[in-house]
Amino acid sequence: MKTVEEINERIKDGDAVVVTAAEMTALVKENGAKKAAEEVDVVTTGTFGAMCSSGAFLNFGHSDPPIKMSRTYLNGVEAYSGLASVDAYLGATQPNRKPDIGLEYGGSHVIEDLINGKEIELHAEAYGTDCYPLTVIKTQITLENLNQAVMLNPRNCYQNYASATNSTDETLYTYMGTLLPNMGNVSYSSAGELSPLLNDPYFQTMGTGTRIFLCGAQGYIIGEGTQFATEVERKNGVPITTAGTLMLKGNMKEMDAEYVRGATMPKYGPTLYVGAGIPIPILNQEIAQRTAISDEEIVCQIVDYGVPRRNRPIVKETNYHELKTGAIELNGMEVPTSPLSSQKKALEIALKLKEWIDKGEFYLTSPVEKLPSKGYTVKPLEIQKPRTLVKDLKGETLILAHPNDAINEVAKKMVQNNINHLPVVDDNNKLLGIVTSWDVANAVARDKNNLTDVMTKKVIIAREEEPVDVIARRIDKNKISGLPIIDKKNQVKGMVTAEDISRLMGGD
Amino acid sequence: MKAWLTFSPKIVSNSIISNLIKNYDIDFNILRADITPEGGKMLIEISGTQQKQAAEFMEKEGIHLNPINKVVKKDEEKCIDCGACISLCPVKAINTTEDWTVEVDDLKCVGCNFCTKSCPTRAIWVTE
Repeated sequence: MKTVEEINERIKDGDAVVVTAAEMTALVKENGAKKAAEEVDVVTTGTFGAMCSSGAFLNFGHSDPPIKMSRTYLNGVEAYSGLASVDAYLGATQPNRKPDIGLEYGGSHVIEDLINGKEIELHAEAYGTDCYPLTVIKTQITLENLNQAVMLNPRNCYQNYASATNSTDETLYTYMGTLLPNMGNVSYSSAGELSPLLNDPYFQTMGTGTRIFLCGAQGYIIGEGTQFATEVERKNGVPITTAGTLMLKGNMKEMDAEYVRGATMPKYGPTLYVGAGIPIPILNQEIAQRTAISDEEIVCQIVDYGVPRRNRPIVKETNYHELKTGAIELNGMEVPTSPLSSQKKALEIALKLKEWIDKGEFYLTSPVEKLPSKGYTVKPLEIQKPRTLVKDLKGETLILAHPNDAINEVAKKMVQNNINHLPVVDDNNKLLGIVTSWDVANAVARDKNNLTDVMTKKVIIAREEEPVDVIARRIDKNKISGLPIIDKKNQVKGMVTAEDISRLMGGD
Repeated sequence: MKAWLTFSPKIVSNSIISNLIKNYDIDFNILRADITPEGGKMLIEISGTQQKQAAEFMEKEGIHLNPINKVVKKDEEKCIDCGACISLCPVKAINTTEDWTVEVDDLKCVGCNFCTKSCPTRAIWVTE
């Protein structure tokens, strides 16, 4: 019906009709897709979300004498330098090497500071060669002085993404933000009906070479992103889970920090908020119909991040209209929802891209090769070594205490068996609490004789079916030295201690 | 006015709060409460014309009143209006406007700091 060349002619003449994806939804609803396809030339989309798989190639230029940088640090953040002498790739999620800064200032923050024109400290180390004799450099750089600063993001703009909640009784800190205990909140990350890949769900218009809005500059899609998938469940034509992704490229020297930000997800780490907008040429009625997708028609699953496994359980299926109301019903409770990507900025980006096209500052491109629309699935990484589960740990004799045991008896048991923890159980071997050698010392010091007064009643436990690696993380996170193993009937089966785990890991 | 009330075990069973509501022209809202045999702590919000008299009455009855002057502030430059903070606020002091701008209501804030710790760009903080 229309070609990209014809649309570009209209852009040149100032006659192109450009609307945002949200406006298109209303337009098609009102006048139908046929009429909308005749009237509209371009639909602009936008998203501004945390996109961890982002980074930048930097070329520092040659010093005199020259150096072949093998390690580089920018404001204390390491960039990968296993490339030619003065090239490096700075990843957005790289934490700071200074432990006191750590996650608070990482790769994404350096990217933002560079774009803002700030001076960055470059520290480079090398082993020294005949052609590159220098072994260390400490200097200041700015974006302007770099030869190239190319943002190259291996995976951006997920087509859809599950929203997150947490069924456990402790707060979780994830890349989906802070998740309150007992499903206290839900966070979602897609821009919904404004999101680029939801408006062209079969990639009929985009691919390698598509010119886009990237962080305030004109950038390009350079191919499908990593973890790209097409073979997924769809409703109303759009995937209900993660599916398509994009690999994007843009010149950092032309970017605007208004549309790209360094950020830190608490206790998770640095991430980059990337602003991306893709123009969709309305070449025919079908494409027009696809861009009319509404928040209500885009299905999203809420998954439980309380289960730290690859396949997390789905709690509920919802849609972006419901999520955007600010609350959702989960198990009969009204639970508040948070967007994790900025809906405001997503719209700003779609409007900015529209403005560029309206002013004739941005022309569309036909992709050299369209993104694949079928045949892609995401493969898991299978760990070759069999996973050790808690129940596989070599069990030692089960030593237990009972609530009526005298303190000195408990102390004796600990010394005789050379242990520091003792689960306290009832007559059916059900867990009541845990007592440590410290608790016993405490009891003696305070003249307490009742075991139930000194034991810890809120016990962190290990289930028999859990992988040992999950337990290692739990020990570390809760700063404890051991935890009781509980079977399906809630009976105590033994203890697992930090020493058991380090012995196991050391044996790899 | 928002305040933490602390009361000793001796007066836990007295009906001070119901008398308070009966006798004074106030709206009384309990934001958090933790009452045990060892005493109690309660975070409350009072509004109305007789706030001052109500506070005096509580003090007289043996409740220790500790007003909260904490307010939440937002750095407009740093904030990217992502909204990560919204669902974390226990008193709904953070909301979005029609155009998805994140707005904080310092009158509602109880200074729990949940939002400040969770802000990806450290754009929000609580101050006295």
